[in-house]
Amino acid sequence: MLPRFSQLLVALALLASPVAFAKPPSPDADNGGLTLPPGFRAFVVADDLGSLRQMAIAPNGDIYLKTLRGGIIGLRDADGDGRAETKVAFGSGGGTGIALRGDWLYHSTNDAVFRYRLTPGQLAPGGEHERIVRNLPSERSHAAKTIAFDGEGRLLVEVGTPTNALGNPDRAPGAKGLDYTGHLEKYGGFWRFDPDRPDQTQAEGTRFSTGHRHILTIAWNDVAGDFFTVMQGRDQLDVVAPQLYTSADNAELPGEEFHVLRKNSDLGWPSTYWDPQQKKRVFAPEYGGDRKKTPPPGRFQDPIFSFPAHWSPMQMAFYRGTQFPEKYRGGAFIAFHGSWNRAPLPQKGYQVAFVPFDPAGSPLGTWETFADNFAGTTVIASPRDARFRPNGLAVGPDGSLYVADSLKGRVWRIIYTGESASAKAN
Amino acid sequence: MRVTLVFALALFAAGCARREPVLPVAAASPPATNGANLYAQHCLSCHMADGGGVPNLQPSLIDSLLAPGDPGALLALILRGSAGQPAPNPEYQNVMPGFGFLSDAEIAALATHLRKNFGHAAPPVSPADVAAARAQPPSG
Repeated sequence: MLPRFSQLLVALALLASPVAFAKPPSPDADNGGLTLPPGFRAFVVADDLGSLRQMAIAPNGDIYLKTLRGGIIGLRDADGDGRAETKVAFGSGGGTGIALRGDWLYHSTNDAVFRYRLTPGQLAPGGEHERIVRNLPSERSHAAKTIAFDGEGRLLVEVGTPTNALGNPDRAPGAKGLDYTGHLEKYGGFWRFDPDRPDQTQAEGTRFSTGHRHILTIAWNDVAGDFFTVMQGRDQLDVVAPQLYTSADNAELPGEEFHVLRKNSDLGWPSTYWDPQQKKRVFAPEYGGDRKKTPPPGRFQDPIFSFPAHWSPMQMAFYRGTQFPEKYRGGAFIAFHGSWNRAPLPQKGYQVAFVPFDPAGSPLGTWETFADNFAGTTVIASPRDARFRPNGLAVGPDGSLYVADSLKGRVWRIIYTGESASAKAN
Repeated sequence: MRVTLVFALALFAAGCARREPVLPVAAASPPATNGANLYAQHCLSCHMADGGGVPNLQPSLIDSLLAPGDPGALLALILRGSAGQPAPNPEYQNVMPGFGFLSDAEIAALATHLRKNFGHAAPPVSPADVAAARAQPPSG
């Protein structure tokens, strides 16, 4: 009696879920064009969706993607073959940020944060969205608003600076840094809001962190009880100070800083940057820097480590699944859009990287390339030469890793099978 | 009717002080008035060696209607940057600084380079054209 009842429960659970996890989907012969570590395979979930930004995946496997200038795309794999057959589009206004909290789907345009209530079992929300935060600064450059929730469910929203290094004139030879105290009251930080209260202004939020240029990549680590983040570092040191930096120097400076982000963290922008070669924070040329001068110890937070310059981190997720081998569990995957500011040297970083964490929730301080060949070419002279650029990244309920592309709109699902694609297929 | 604004050309800084030459520069004429050198020093960083720009950040010079078009509009953009434009194209997020610190001869050589390369074959611009553009009140 009991076993039969259990069988019924399992059958009901499978019926209720749009994704049948029992049978692993078969990967594409060429892994959707990606190169992966041994044992990993990939396949294309959906293609040609337009310029995709960040991604969120619901507990039932439904995928939600922000598009740069349109609305939100919802994808569902109804028959369990891994490919999305059902597609819905809703909303408008473009933007970048998207995140789930319970039945709520939060998303951001460049000047506001909204939420839709999702109905269990339905891919598209039934009603209109509700505005949670309004009138955020939006001035063309770095206007994208990434959103995240802390362990208590509070909403964090980033407001980047519309400049490179607050130079006057910004990005120009000999630029002098402007006074940044006032600027940082409105830009270059995360602000924390009540996730349930409609129509809050920035002034009604609390500044959580400061001194960052622009951040899209942030994820809450529930083991550590902390946010981890990667900042989008400054451009054009060689343009601003050609007497100090060659374009070859600029291609490797500054590091893209990986930080733990806590209340009142100050990451040192715009007056400093992280030099990965000296492993030191030094003053920026706009603020009297000579490549050597350092701020007083403890004045700004140092990164735990840094990624190569200009790689442009776009979205990060912690791996809480069990599908992937042990070393990946509890670590972070990060989608990098890839550089533009290494010219005339080749561009780099069009990849997904992995950051291992220990069981206590601390990063080991290293990183490795996980998924690569998004660009489809080994020498990328210009971003226009790239076939795809990683942007959205999320972990599915079965422990698969999903990646979304900003150029044509391809979505990949990466799975662990223990087998590699044949040399022929590659 | 959609006009791809070229915002510009570039940014950069005087490359003459570089410790090692990393740019493939054309060697012939004196650097100050050689359009290819000026492009490499001031424009290539953002608009790329092939002029293709960067999607969503900096416009392509190849697809540009402004580069081979009315010299006055092109020179106003080079002199004052994209922030000085009456209607910057919202498709591109980065702001181009002005290059008014270059001489009339340098800007003429640079503008002429843009008008004769990247698939364009438009008439050259003279230093007198640049002087006249400098004298125009900013339109932004």
